[in-house]
Amino acid sequence: MQSSNAINYDYTIAKCFTVATIVLGIVGMLVGVIIAFQLAFPELSNLAGEYGTFGRLRPLHTDAVAFGFTASGIFATWYYVGQRVLKVSMAESKFLMFIGRLHFWIYILTVAAVVVSLLMGITTSKEYAEFEWPIDIAIVVLWVLWGVSIFGLIGIRRERVLYISVWYYIATFLGVAMLYLFNNMEVPTYFIAGMGKWYHSVSMYAGSNDAMVQWWYGHNAVAFVFTVPIIAMIYYFLPKESGQPIFSYKLSLLSFWGLMFVYLWAGGHHLLYSTVPDWVQTMGSIFSIILILPSWGSAINMLLTMKGEWGQLKENPLVKFYVLASTFYMLSTLEGPIQAIKSVNALAHFTDWIPGHVHDGTLGWVGFMIIGAIFHMAPRMFRREIYSKKLVEAQFWLQTTGIVMYFTSMWIAGITQGMMWRATDQYGNLAYSFIDTVEVLHPYWTLRAVGGLFFLIGVFMWAYNIYKTATSSRAIEKEPQYASPMA
Amino acid sequence: MFHWLEKNPFFFAVGVFLVIAYAGIVTILPDFMESARPLKGTKPYTTLQIAGRQVYINNSCNACHSQLIRPFKSETDRYGKYSLSGEYAYDRPFLWGSRRTGPDLHRVGNYRTTDWHENHMLDPAAVVPGSIMPKYGFMFKKSADLETAYAEAYTVKKVFNVPYDKPGMPKLGSYDEAKKAAYKEAGKIVAGMKNQDVKDAYKNGDIKEIVALIAYLNGLK
Amino acid sequence: MDMELIRSLQGWGYVAMIFGLTIGFYAYIYHLYKSQRDGTKDYEKYSNMALNDDLSDSLVEEKYPQDNKKDNEER
Repeated sequence: MQSSNAINYDYTIAKCFTVATIVLGIVGMLVGVIIAFQLAFPELSNLAGEYGTFGRLRPLHTDAVAFGFTASGIFATWYYVGQRVLKVSMAESKFLMFIGRLHFWIYILTVAAVVVSLLMGITTSKEYAEFEWPIDIAIVVLWVLWGVSIFGLIGIRRERVLYISVWYYIATFLGVAMLYLFNNMEVPTYFIAGMGKWYHSVSMYAGSNDAMVQWWYGHNAVAFVFTVPIIAMIYYFLPKESGQPIFSYKLSLLSFWGLMFVYLWAGGHHLLYSTVPDWVQTMGSIFSIILILPSWGSAINMLLTMKGEWGQLKENPLVKFYVLASTFYMLSTLEGPIQAIKSVNALAHFTDWIPGHVHDGTLGWVGFMIIGAIFHMAPRMFRREIYSKKLVEAQFWLQTTGIVMYFTSMWIAGITQGMMWRATDQYGNLAYSFIDTVEVLHPYWTLRAVGGLFFLIGVFMWAYNIYKTATSSRAIEKEPQYASPMA
Repeated sequence: MFHWLEKNPFFFAVGVFLVIAYAGIVTILPDFMESARPLKGTKPYTTLQIAGRQVYINNSCNACHSQLIRPFKSETDRYGKYSLSGEYAYDRPFLWGSRRTGPDLHRVGNYRTTDWHENHMLDPAAVVPGSIMPKYGFMFKKSADLETAYAEAYTVKKVFNVPYDKPGMPKLGSYDEAKKAAYKEAGKIVAGMKNQDVKDAYKNGDIKEIVALIAYLNGLK
Repeated sequence: MDMELIRSLQGWGYVAMIFGLTIGFYAYIYHLYKSQRDGTKDYEKYSNMALNDDLSDSLVEEKYPQDNKKDNEER
């Protein structure tokens, strides 16, 4: 037992990805706030010519938060949690350290290429899969590297059984790999025709088929980027920070398989009343509703983990982040199935209720979880106390206010616009022209943009707090076992 | 059996993969056995229209405009006949969109004109007071990329058997032929426009992005 | 293969999934709780993998029990 003191967990790669998480979080959410203000104040769209229009910036926002902030958050936590629950240090394998570094640098180069190409308008137009084929290849390479690092670390583990978080990381790896490959099947036109732009490609699928593949991907990208790996995080960070074992480990295993079985069948709910086969639509609806069960299984398991320990909520702001994240997870996994009911979807589809729903999940669940995870990792990676507890508290409340402003305004905006689109006068004619339904949204869009701004300010507070923690906070001698120390 | 899976990471991963791949195999794959069938009368895009479609995609117009009319009276009253699957048979990629920040465009060619688009793209709020759409003046300056458009048409013809050059279908031919045809098609649109720079450029053999975009939008019916 | 056959295969694939899911899932629940009750497997102890995750903490279950014995003797 004593001999293993010679080696320690090696957090080099985790630190690299932590920096990437913070920087890309700021970039992605800043762009998000800008485009939110553009909707409320359209003059802002014309400030930077073609590079500043809503259309150019919107994919940049979605991709920067999904594949920038969230993906690097997933990588950062993997390179931290993976070692710890498998009880093996990265430092024990030179090969894995090399793979980790390579993974990080290829990731950074890919991100740079994505930012430049999206601003230039180089896009395939498929949501969350906008990248042209050269970038797709780079993404495949870095994903394979991550796979090597996951299975490499598992190969040299000391712990015989894989902890539930590792299950979820493996599922993330496999799920995204499969989805990404199939949705991005495209033919580069230059190599067939010998002219035109070398990076241009055309989709392998046409029309309704393309739509089906895209939303099979789009829906499950949400599953395997915004849900599965985030559950991996909460199953580690909440028990560890609070010192409470998971309420029921068996329930966590059951919810895992439940989620895996059901999630992939629900993609059809993005295409209700469209031209894809009816049975695909109906099945999408039904499975979306069944999906409540495994989702709530995980969420309730997390909340019950805190049973009898709710006092910690008062003392430890990080626990607050995790508990609120689970609550938002419950909210959005209930809201999603409601929107997938056909008659509700008829109203909600194409309106702001949908981005509203996405943001409950991404800000409340994904955002809070990654922010909380990195707060937990910081004192252990840098061997220093968290710089300021007051700042963490202030950030928590500011961001919570922001999220509430965001989703309430979007709910009202979405339902208002949906009702106005279908409203008729006494003779059965449409009551409103399209522009009426846009003008009415101005106050809600303003409120939403301000809510987003609150969240962004919170991210800056987080970045500052982590920076100070890494550089000038009080050093700690021994690694804290449970609650993170903060000044 | 279950516990064996839990301590064998490789077979565990295989198991997870099978479970998540199964849904795709059953729901998605079979529909590719029959490729999307076009409706009678649905034609592939001309080179100029493809160039316009690429402008539409480059600027992510689909971030705010849908191209999918759902079968509700409120939608058919507003936008025209509801969309049919076959109408999208030549759409690679599909452009249904997911948020209608602006109105649906699937049949915009039925009720908007070249002249309307020209004014609107320059200053949307001047045509539709209260519009929040950005100004697209730069499309009057940038040239349409016919080469890439031709490359795309040629690729779909070769790889996916899109019926160019078949009887009653648009002619593609060699690049020079396609370029000539695009130039002729653009002439009709330029004739309906007021902007002098676009007209001058056209005389010099240069087709601006706005011309291609309008050709595409006018073709959406 | 004609489309009708594909559609019926699809239908059977779907039915198989429903049954497989139901049976597999309940079997798994039964397995989890039975092995807990019989004492063959204590699943709940695995949650300690997150709590005692220092390199110097004792393992919940050793990967190679024999090898580790050797290790321990060397120590």
